[in-house]
Parts: sequence; C-alpha cells; structure tokens
Amino acid sequence: MDTIIIDGLSFALPLFIMAIGGIYSERSGITNLAIEGLQGFGAFIGALAVILISNFAKTDLESLFYLAIAFAMIGGMVFSILHAVLCIKFKANQVISGVVINILSVALTSFLTSQINKNAFGAASDKFQLGVSKRFTIGGLSRIPVIGAVFKGIYPFEIVIIIIAFFAWYVLYKTRYGLRLRACGDNPHSVDAAGVEVSRIRFTAVMVSGALSGLGGMCFAYSISANFSPNIYMGYGYLAIAALIFGNWKILPALGACLIFGFAKSGGYRIVQLMKLPSAYSDLIMILPYVLTLLLLIFFSKTNRAPRALGEIYDKGKR
Amino acid sequence: MDKEKRKPTKPTEKMNLSSDSPGISFHLLANEKWQPITIPAFSILLSLIAAAIVILLIGKNPLNAFLNLLQGSGILPKPSYAGYKGILTDFLSLLNAMTPLLFASLAVAVAFKAGLFNIGVSGMMLTAGFTATVAVGYSDLNSFLAKPVVLIIGIGAGAVMGAFVGWLKYRFNINEVVSTIMLNNIAQYVFGFFINAYIVDPVSRQSRYILDSSRLTLVNVEYGGLKMDIPLGFILAIAAAVFLKFFMDKTILGYEIKTVGANRNAAKYAGINVKKNIILAMVISGALAGLAGVTYYLGYFSSIQPKVLSSVGYDAIAVSLLGNSNPVGIVFSSLLISIISKGSTYMSSIAGIDQDIASVITGLILLFSACGEYIKFKIRRLNDRQLERKESEA
Repeated sequence: MDTIIIDGLSFALPLFIMAIGGIYSERSGITNLAIEGLQGFGAFIGALAVILISNFAKTDLESLFYLAIAFAMIGGMVFSILHAVLCIKFKANQVISGVVINILSVALTSFLTSQINKNAFGAASDKFQLGVSKRFTIGGLSRIPVIGAVFKGIYPFEIVIIIIAFFAWYVLYKTRYGLRLRACGDNPHSVDAAGVEVSRIRFTAVMVSGALSGLGGMCFAYSISANFSPNIYMGYGYLAIAALIFGNWKILPALGACLIFGFAKSGGYRIVQLMKLPSAYSDLIMILPYVLTLLLLIFFSKTNRAPRALGEIYDKGKR
Repeated sequence: MDKEKRKPTKPTEKMNLSSDSPGISFHLLANEKWQPITIPAFSILLSLIAAAIVILLIGKNPLNAFLNLLQGSGILPKPSYAGYKGILTDFLSLLNAMTPLLFASLAVAVAFKAGLFNIGVSGMMLTAGFTATVAVGYSDLNSFLAKPVVLIIGIGAGAVMGAFVGWLKYRFNINEVVSTIMLNNIAQYVFGFFINAYIVDPVSRQSRYILDSSRLTLVNVEYGGLKMDIPLGFILAIAAAVFLKFFMDKTILGYEIKTVGANRNAAKYAGINVKKNIILAMVISGALAGLAGVTYYLGYFSSIQPKVLSSVGYDAIAVSLLGNSNPVGIVFSSLLISIISKGSTYMSSIAGIDQDIASVITGLILLFSACGEYIKFKIRRLNDRQLERKESEA
C-alpha cells in the first residue's frame, strides 16, 4: 500500500504542475498543446546547466537540484515565448503552433544534446546523466497508518511543487490578475473594455505555463528517468493536457485527475507484483489509468465546458 | 523566382517610401489568387535560410548539405552508386517512406475540416497495422488475395476506432483530444503486450517479419539492372488525395462536414445532422489513418516494434498544416518533409552533419509556415497603405 502512494504521488505531482501551467494558458484563451515540448526543453536547459556547472565547479550533481529546477523553469519559460509570439503576435493557429513547438523541441534538444556531448565532453551520447534525487521521510507523520505513506520517501521536488501549486491556485482564483486571466479566456472584450491589455495577460499566462512545464519535466528527469535524453518525450505532456481537460479547466479537479493517473499506474504495478505475473503483464496493467479516464469521462463530461474564447485569436473589432 | 521573393521581406520600410515601384516579387506575394502557393513557398525559403545558418554555425557548407539531401532522396543523381542501386532506387524508396505520411496527413486534414483535432493517428496506425499483421501477415494467402485483404482490414480497423472517437465526442461530449490521447496510450500498451507475448522475434525484439505476399511494398524487384522497392500503396495514396479533394469540394457530404467544422451551431440551425457528420468525418479520418498504418507496418517496414508509437501521426499534423489542409497541398508538403528525412541519412554520411539536423530543418519549416497568416496579414496591410498613398496623391 505504501509503495502505491509513494510512487503514485511522485508521478502525479509533476503531472499536476504541468496541468496547472496548461490551465493558466488555456484559461487565458490560448490552447496549449505545447506542454510536451516545453517540459522537454525545460528539462534540457536544467540538465545542461547543472552538468556545465558541476563540470566547472566540481560539485556533485545532487546538490545542484534546486538550481536545475530554476534553470528548467527559465528554459521552459523562454521556449514558451515562441508559442506566445506565434499565437498572439503572429496570429498563428494555436493548435498548430503547439504541435510545431513539440516537434521543434524534440528535434532541437536531441540535436543539441548529442552535439554538446560530442564537442564539449568528447563522448558520443544522447543523454545527460543526472541521477535520482534523494528522498526523505518526515519522522512523526509517517507513522500514521495508511495516510502516513504520504510523508514517506518524499522527493524534495514534491514539496516545491506543492508550494508552487498552492501559490498558483491563489493567484488564479484570489487575485485581480487571476480574475482578468480567467476573463480573457471567456470574454476577452470585457477585459479590453476594463482597460487591460488582453495580449499582455495572455502572454504572461503562456510564460507561466512554460515555466511550470519546465519544472514538471525536470522532476521527471530527476526521478523516473534519472537522466535527460530524448526519452523524456514519453507523452507525459499530453497526459497533463488530458488531466486538465478532465478536470474541466479547474485546478483542484485537475489534481484529482492527476492522482487517478498516478495511483492507477503505481497500483497497477503493485498488482502485477502481488499476483506474481510475468513482467510482460505490467504492459496490460499500464492501460489502467487511460481506460479509467475514458470511463470516468463518460460520466463526467456532460458538464465539461471549455473556456468560451479558447483557441480564438483576439480581435478587437469583433462583436 | 525564389531569389526575387526574398526582396520584399527585409526592405519593408523602404517599400513604403518607394511605393511606385514595388517590384514583381511583391506582386507575386500580394496576388491573392496565388497566395496559397506563394506564401508556403516563401515560408519554406525563410526556413531554408534559417537552416543554412544553423549548418553554417556548426561549420559545414549548407549548399552542399541541401544538395546531399536531394541526392540522398533520389531527386538528383549521386556521384556514384553501389551495385544494383541507382537514382530510381532512391526515388522509389522516397515514395515508399512518403506513402504512410501522406495517408496520415490526409487523415488529420479530414478531421480538421470537421473542426476535430485527431491526435490519435499514431494509435490508429498501430491498431490497423497490428490487426492486419496478425490476420494476414503470417497466413499463406496468395499475394493477389492477401494485399487487398490487408488494405480492407486496415481501413476497417482505423474506421472503427475513428467512429468510436466520434461517438464519444457526440454522445458524451468527450473532447476528442483527450480520447485520442488515451486511445494512443491504450493501443501502445495493449498491442505491445500482445506482440511481446505471442509474435515477438527473440533476436530483433520486434514482431516477426511478415511474409512478402502480404506486404504492400514489392521488395527487391529487379528491373534494368537495379533492385528496387515498389510501393504499391503510393498509387492508392495519390488516388485518396484526389478523391478527398473531390469529396470535400464537390459533394454535399463534404460541404456538410466543412460547415460543421466552420460553425457547429450554424450547421445545426441549417438542418445539418451534426452527429452524423462528426462521426462520418472521424470514420474517414480513421480509415485513412488505418491505411497509413498498413502501408507503414506492412509496407515500409514489415514488422512492428512493441510499445512504440510511430512519430508519423504527430508529424502528419504539421504536414497537414503545411499543405493548408488541402489534399493537393498535402501531397507536396509530405513530399518535401519526406525528402528531408529520407535524404538526411546520405547527408550525414557524406557531409558528416548529424542526422538530427533533418528534424531541426523540418521543425523550422513548420515553424515558419505557421507564420503564414501573419505574412499574409503584413502583405495586405502594405498593400492597403500603398493604395491609400496613391489615393491621397491623386
């Protein structure tokens, strides 16, 4: 039971933070399919930064973990500017821009990774080795039965994510900026009439989504894969999009969706272990989160409603 | 023509000053009738310039690199060929690689016309490929029977999956982006499991190779001293593009699908059956994706790698955009993207440029073509300004 909760959380939380980024962007009216590419690019920048720093300063990689997160967020944010410029300034189709960013990100990061490895480190490799970040356990709380597992074997990034997620929730629902952002997605003309520039709000929203995606990508790189390689494009970004749509473009329901993904995944593995099935069966179990999502969607989708102005290019003159 | 077109980009300000002589190139870009061709061409040109800069930065000659791309894909002759190989061999293998991409891009385009966004092409391809492999790939049907059966199974499997997505969308209001992502993952793991459990080749770690009788590409055909792979599916793909063009532009069903895509409520108000059209569009899209699947797994390749979705389905989204969701445009855009990816192997072996640069170039092309609307907008504004000036002078 404990492992289900521990592994489930460590998968669900990075997904959740990417989904929050997506919610920011989509609630402001910009469709964001680029999350997959943004998380990869963010993780690439984060990994590259710590590899370079550890090479020059001769420190070990694990102590640079927070630095990696910071760089990953910056990297994701910078790359997301491309999406923002394409969608807002160049009036490109947002879906297409997102897909283009994904393709470009995969291409650029794998190209640059092998180039940098070859030229700077003299090794022909397509990955940056990072290692897994240390886990810790909160003494007292972890002894509570069942729920205590939440406080066991925590990755440091889980704490970071929870803090940032709470902050993001506060900004989106309790501040003036958040109100305007949500209005931009439903009725941008009203925001314009209130004297606020729609494009500026949307631009920042996309950048927030880039930063949070970068954070999520870095967390995956430091936990599941223990390195940065093109394998980071496993489709987790798309999963985050599914979670946010499942969560009806709201933060708390999206958390629920991510937890379902996480627990269904870790629970599935556990079942395979307990029933002593050959490991090939874990592939069959892996479909559990997706089947579950489809089934739940059948019951909960009726009331789902996308932000009204989602995907539309803002046109001041339109009635 | 290409060189002339470069002019209006940079000296935009200058052109405002000398409005009397804007030059032929500008007229070409500004002519709205030709814009569907000139603007993509212009974007491609911009992206090639950007790619050339990237290649220059890593210290190689971009012109040679582009030449190698064309040579590697069989458009231009190479300086020397190995035995049994010639320009025709390369060109046919280009078409072989292009076939699934063309089908997949058409699949994306049909859904797009109906206002649906089919990310699930990869999953549908895998479903169709797996079903056809299991059903026909290892059977002893003779090749005249086996190949059509493969095609029919591909179409059927894809169409069923497409219909399912359309039904979920209409009946339960499930966003097709989510359902296709879910189905992609489900297909990937389920078929990965079955391949690993039943038809895996212990050496290659892929599914066992299918028999040649059911393969949609004729391999190692000897003709005129050359050994070639002839992609039968390519003819079908072109036919599908032509049919789709006709279907969308000239038939009532096509018109209805486009109307539903343009405005679902208006379509409903006009008495169009939205449910039928959403499902129909997804069925056609799925069928085309299925064809992409069988030409990919039972044509270009002859086995399936377990637990891997091909990137063709995602690339197709961008190729479809580059072709402006127009079947004829898609034929050319998929040709272009195939040339770059197919020629890159030769380029990396000759010029020593990392093969990954090919996908960077592809990405750049798509990036610039996404800006097509903006270029159009800028040109229109320039045009308007010139008109205003002329009026004020008069």
